[in-house]
Amino acid sequence: MSSGRFAFVRTTTFRLALVYSVLFGLFSFLLLSYLFQATVGSLRAEADQRLQAEMSSLELAFYGFGIERLEQSLIERALVPGAPFRYQLETPQGERLIGDFPNLPVTPPNTVGVWGNVSLTIEVPRPGAEPTLTEAEGRIVRLTTGHVLLVAIETGERSRIVRRITQAVTTAAPIGVLLALIGGIFISRYAARRAEQLTRTTEAVVAGNLYVRAPVQGSGDEFDRLATHLNTMLEKLERLMASSRHTGDSIAHDLRSPLSRLRNRLETALLGEMSTETARDTLAHTVEEVDRVLATFNAILRLSRLDAGAEGRLVRFDMREMLLELADLYEPACEDAGLKFESEIGHNLFVLGDRELLAQAISNLLDNAIKYTPENGSISLKAMRTNDEIIIEVSDTGPGIAEDMRERAKERFFRLDEARTQSGSGLGLALVDSVADLHKGEIELLWAHEEPEPFGLKTVFSLPRER
Amino acid sequence: MRVLVIEDDREHAKFINQVLSEAGHEVAIAENGADGLIQAREGEFDALVVDRMLPEKDGLKLVEEYRNGGGQTPALFLSALSDVDNRVEGLKAGADDYLAKPFAPQELAARVEALGRRQASEEPPVTKLKVADLEMDLLARKVWRAGQKIDLQPREFRLLEFLMRHAGQVVTRTMLLEKVWDYHFDPQTNVIDVHVSRLRAKIDKDFDEQLLQTVRGAGYCLQG
Repeated sequence: MSSGRFAFVRTTTFRLALVYSVLFGLFSFLLLSYLFQATVGSLRAEADQRLQAEMSSLELAFYGFGIERLEQSLIERALVPGAPFRYQLETPQGERLIGDFPNLPVTPPNTVGVWGNVSLTIEVPRPGAEPTLTEAEGRIVRLTTGHVLLVAIETGERSRIVRRITQAVTTAAPIGVLLALIGGIFISRYAARRAEQLTRTTEAVVAGNLYVRAPVQGSGDEFDRLATHLNTMLEKLERLMASSRHTGDSIAHDLRSPLSRLRNRLETALLGEMSTETARDTLAHTVEEVDRVLATFNAILRLSRLDAGAEGRLVRFDMREMLLELADLYEPACEDAGLKFESEIGHNLFVLGDRELLAQAISNLLDNAIKYTPENGSISLKAMRTNDEIIIEVSDTGPGIAEDMRERAKERFFRLDEARTQSGSGLGLALVDSVADLHKGEIELLWAHEEPEPFGLKTVFSLPRER
Repeated sequence: MRVLVIEDDREHAKFINQVLSEAGHEVAIAENGADGLIQAREGEFDALVVDRMLPEKDGLKLVEEYRNGGGQTPALFLSALSDVDNRVEGLKAGADDYLAKPFAPQELAARVEALGRRQASEEPPVTKLKVADLEMDLLARKVWRAGQKIDLQPREFRLLEFLMRHAGQVVTRTMLLEKVWDYHFDPQTNVIDVHVSRLRAKIDKDFDEQLLQTVRGAGYCLQG
């Protein structure tokens, strides 16, 4: 068996967890990139735009009114408090004319009129503290007079955002992926364990142990449902196996006695001289015996068909008419046997069923009642409906069946010792039970009468009611 | 009657042959479905006895093709499959009766007899039945014996009607249960016998000639 510590790696759930965490990582990456673009990108674009505008307006001042006017503009701008720009204007010789820097912090371009992009570090004064250094971006240009003009804008805020986002991405994403993976592993280990239990059960069954049952944890999840179904199936299988094993034995046993009786009779007939009359008689008896054997075979055949299931042909119908007919069919036979027969059939006895099989089942119960009830007794057939069931009761005043025998009485070929002498195949009640099973109903054997001491069999046949 | 038996199991065919021959029928045997169909079409038979499982051509298909080709001869299916479904299937294919294996010889003989008779009596719609001095009016639902009215329960009426329609033939208990009660199983107790003896008490008791006879080991026969 492949139950290694990492068996779960091959499970579907684990693979799903893996795929999920990869997708999760990819998704977070995309989300963060978008966020990055949306914030940092727009900040950068905005700074660029502002730089551009400032530079253009200063150039305009220079080209329109000359270097003095430019100087003047710069001085004026320096006076505006909180302005985001830093300026520097130097002579062609590199001397500082006006500006925020002691020296030009970058190398000036040689070509006239072409703007250069530069990155630099600037000092930000803080009241009552050392100034801090921060990053900045700038445009630098050599004017037609050879003067050099630098305009810079602080971008430290932007960089901090970039750094923070980058940090968040690099720390949060792996943690998220890791968590997804761990979650996946836990779930898949749980699922793998449950599946493993089911696998173990089925393997045991395959190996021949029909008595194992899959564990049901009571959570009602898919695994529990599967396990419950599996167990129901196993129970049915076990019952079928047991009954077919038992049937095999019983067939052999039950057919052996009539067959050997048959053989004996024929042997005896062969031995002695006999009149035609006796010979005929012997043959007639022989045929009767064979007919009984055949009837038993037929009953067995019917039973196995029933157990193989035949739900397909169940239809909704009212049992009332059928039961009235059966009462009509059996009443004379009861009277003939010196028994009182009563019937009490309610109305609207709708079930989802097979008329023929149900008729046969009830007829078996009535047959049994007639067979086992002594003369001057009574038999009753009652049918009624409750909220969700149709209940059919057949009671007699015969010996009944003791409590401890009732379960076995439903088995094939089971016959009470008292009944061994009676004719019958021992399949009647088994058939009723199978028919009840097929209709999702059940039969219950009870005492029909309690006083003075319990006697009489009452068979309660209950079926789901169909509205 | 001329009966064609289509059955591949030779032992079984021989048995059927013997049963039907003893009952006074002339029997021909076909051993597979294809031959059976040809013989059924060419020979002039009064009844067909067809096994469900046949080589060459399945029994169901055979009867279906035979009927589609205009064949009228009544057919009886023999089958080891005795389920209601199988019977219904067989009747739908065009068979007139269905008998599950294994069966008693008398059962087969009685049913084949009934088949042949069915065809003969199909022509005019009968409103009156008469066996000796026993008369039945199917429209008025009344029965007389020697001109004396007899009161029957509805079920007894149907039972008698079936017996009269098959007068002179042996009718088995199973046939009665099937045709009169529409049940296709064998009750363990003698329910049918009791019904028949009640009917007998009504139609025969006060008369010298006993019309309703018990045929030992087989069933009943109503005869004048």
